[in-house]
Amino acid sequence: MAIKKDLSVEYLGVKFENPFCLSSSPVDDSYEKCSKAFDNGWAGVFYKSFAKFKGVDCSPRFDSIGKESMPWMGFKNLEVQSDKTLEENLEILAKLKRNYPDKVLAVSIMGTSDDEWTELARLVEQTGADMIECNFSCPHMHIKGMGMDVGQDENLVREYTKAVRRGTKLPIIAKMTPNIGHMELPAEAAIESGANSISCINTLRAMMSIDIDNCSPMPTINGKSSISGYSGSAIKPIALRFIANLKQYPALANVPVSGIGGIETWHDAVEFLMCGAQTLQVTTAVMQYGSRIVKDLISGLSYFMEEKGFEHVQDMIGLAVPNIVTTDKLPRDYEVLPKFDHEKCVGCGRCYISCYDAAHAAIDWDEAARRPILNEKKCVGCHLCVNVCPVKGCILPDRVRFREGAEVRPIVYQTKYE
Amino acid sequence: MSMKKIPEYMEEIVKPYDSRTAMEEASRCLLCHDAPCSKACPAGTDPASFIMSLRFRNIKGAAETIRTANPLGGVCARVCPYDKLCEQACSRCGIDKPIAIGRLQRFAADQESLFGMKIMEAPAKKNGKAACIGAGPASLACAAMLAQAGVEVTVYEKKALPGGLLTYGIIPSRLPNEVVEREVRHVADLGVRFVCHTEIGKDISVDELRKQYDAVFIGTGLGAAKTLDIPGSQLKGVIGALEFLAEAKTGHAKIGKQVVVIGGGDVAMDAAATAALHGAKTTVVYRRTLAEAPANLDEIAFAQSLGVGFCFQFRPVAIEGERSVSAFRAAGTDGESHITLKADQVILAIGQSCENPELGGVSRTEKNLILVENGATNLPGVFAGGDITNGGKTVVQAVADGKLAAYSMLKFMGGVK
Repeated sequence: MAIKKDLSVEYLGVKFENPFCLSSSPVDDSYEKCSKAFDNGWAGVFYKSFAKFKGVDCSPRFDSIGKESMPWMGFKNLEVQSDKTLEENLEILAKLKRNYPDKVLAVSIMGTSDDEWTELARLVEQTGADMIECNFSCPHMHIKGMGMDVGQDENLVREYTKAVRRGTKLPIIAKMTPNIGHMELPAEAAIESGANSISCINTLRAMMSIDIDNCSPMPTINGKSSISGYSGSAIKPIALRFIANLKQYPALANVPVSGIGGIETWHDAVEFLMCGAQTLQVTTAVMQYGSRIVKDLISGLSYFMEEKGFEHVQDMIGLAVPNIVTTDKLPRDYEVLPKFDHEKCVGCGRCYISCYDAAHAAIDWDEAARRPILNEKKCVGCHLCVNVCPVKGCILPDRVRFREGAEVRPIVYQTKYE
Repeated sequence: MSMKKIPEYMEEIVKPYDSRTAMEEASRCLLCHDAPCSKACPAGTDPASFIMSLRFRNIKGAAETIRTANPLGGVCARVCPYDKLCEQACSRCGIDKPIAIGRLQRFAADQESLFGMKIMEAPAKKNGKAACIGAGPASLACAAMLAQAGVEVTVYEKKALPGGLLTYGIIPSRLPNEVVEREVRHVADLGVRFVCHTEIGKDISVDELRKQYDAVFIGTGLGAAKTLDIPGSQLKGVIGALEFLAEAKTGHAKIGKQVVVIGGGDVAMDAAATAALHGAKTTVVYRRTLAEAPANLDEIAFAQSLGVGFCFQFRPVAIEGERSVSAFRAAGTDGESHITLKADQVILAIGQSCENPELGGVSRTEKNLILVENGATNLPGVFAGGDITNGGKTVVQAVADGKLAAYSMLKFMGGVK
């Protein structure tokens, strides 16, 4: 692909050729998958979580949910830690590092006691790995004091992070759970206890859907199923929220974050970077499309940087953070009115229906011409019509109408809707 | 050439949607406020409603909408000229291309039998008796609507099987026999009685039927293919397209090696495709341009895909041969071009003439069509619809005519509801 941009980032003192990594999951639990991903262009892997004992999984363990004809809006998995022995995993890590010295090898571990965490960290360091990610957040383990249990309990986070620190000098990343109101607190506990960075988010605990023939959650496993991890495009908005929360929390503002949660395209990647993520991790999109998607992540990001004049990925990181404010800080003294392009309009009337049934009935319908007509008096500038219109460029935000007494001033608003 | 079992001839060319591909297509629908597609259906099949149902995963509801509005919904799904009706009206045309309404209708209508649904129902209590003459689409639609309103209906048909042109005149690769059989069975399941091998004007008369029934519907369609007034048109090997298609469908057609089909409508395309599928080197000769040809573009494309050749803007001049056809001659409408095609069979698909017998004194046009107003003829209690009134339009128009006549008949019979 034509454009060559320097996409490299430095994260925890290690150079990544680009911000794109596989997240700890089924996509990087073997030498072959990691090696193919590296060959495709991924800068690093967060090698699939392993423990001292190997995991045994149920079947099926995956399911996806769509909307209309769009499959895989969300994805659910029940897979536990690596099904390989500790020795096998350590061998794979050593081989990966040997054969791909310039790629970054982060390794996800999970222990059940202080000693286990310490020992796993020590063993991982010996393989030549670059950094260690602590899985404090797996949402479908049912072993007390493991997975999400840890991430919801600051004391456990503190205890286990310290245990890991005892076993290694490598950078430590605490991978946090979104199944909590305020991630800032356990994240802060991790940093205070020796972690250098936060990975977020792990998957959300969810039911996803019910198999209505068997009255069982999906995927149906002998007639039953469990609440477990939910991922994919559907959770991207939640991931961005948690990253923003961390970045705006004074004690964590300067702590590097590795962003995870529904990244599929370069556009998603830019959004995560702008919210403050320094590296990016992907699984669900790779499960659906394969690790080859990194080529378009790289190319798309390069073109975006070219277009906007960014020289380094670093220049984009956190740009949106100052613009994330609480709702009480939002101006409420003007309305952005839409404009209807009657040439582009195909006359479907969806704007009219939605505005009438769900907004302020501010669109009149010209039955003969099959065209919407804005009733400016009633329009409140909510932009439901802009969102429901199926024709590109037909309904667009047009002009600002200031309320009485408001200061007339330049207003920033989106004018481009894909 | 004798008839062989040819899968491409017997099997539907257009592949069906499954629930996933149907949802993909349904989700392209803009779900318009004023649903121009529904307004464009003569039979009121209401695509906007059934596509909305599909989009919201209510497949059975979609099947119900279709069957309730159109007793031949599965047939129309396959033979309708959508590109000139609902799909032409589709708002999505303004963005890219219309929703494949016909294919969605076929998917939804097919679910009815897959789910074992029984959507049309007749009340147990009967009130009134009606006869339908002819068992083509107009009569079938009329009978279905009447039966659902509690009328006892008898359908008289001169041929061996009900269905009219659906059974005898449309290539199975477009409309498989089992689809016609299934929809006729739905009508029969309403208690409608079919009396076949019974011809109006010969075995029964309109006058007799008027005495026996409270109301009579005439849906006999048109008669035989129009003939050509050119030298050689009486030669062996010259055949009307409908006769040819009927013989092919019943398995006794004699199909030539080099066939010329004259005409540019769907019947011409069906005849050409039938000949080509049976191995004949086939050429369609049409006096106007491709753009003017009344046939569905899909039908033309299908014939082309089978290697059928087309000569546009040529009109027939003569058919040559000793006792049977050996060549066909045509002249260009430019007044200068001439072609001679080697041929052993010439199929005429230039329309049908109305050769109906005396029908109890109903008013006719100069073309012998029956004059109707809201389906009613000049004779009290006698109604008509379909090709015999509209001069030969579409299946969906015949359904619309049959439905309209049924409403008028119910009103006429009064008290019947």
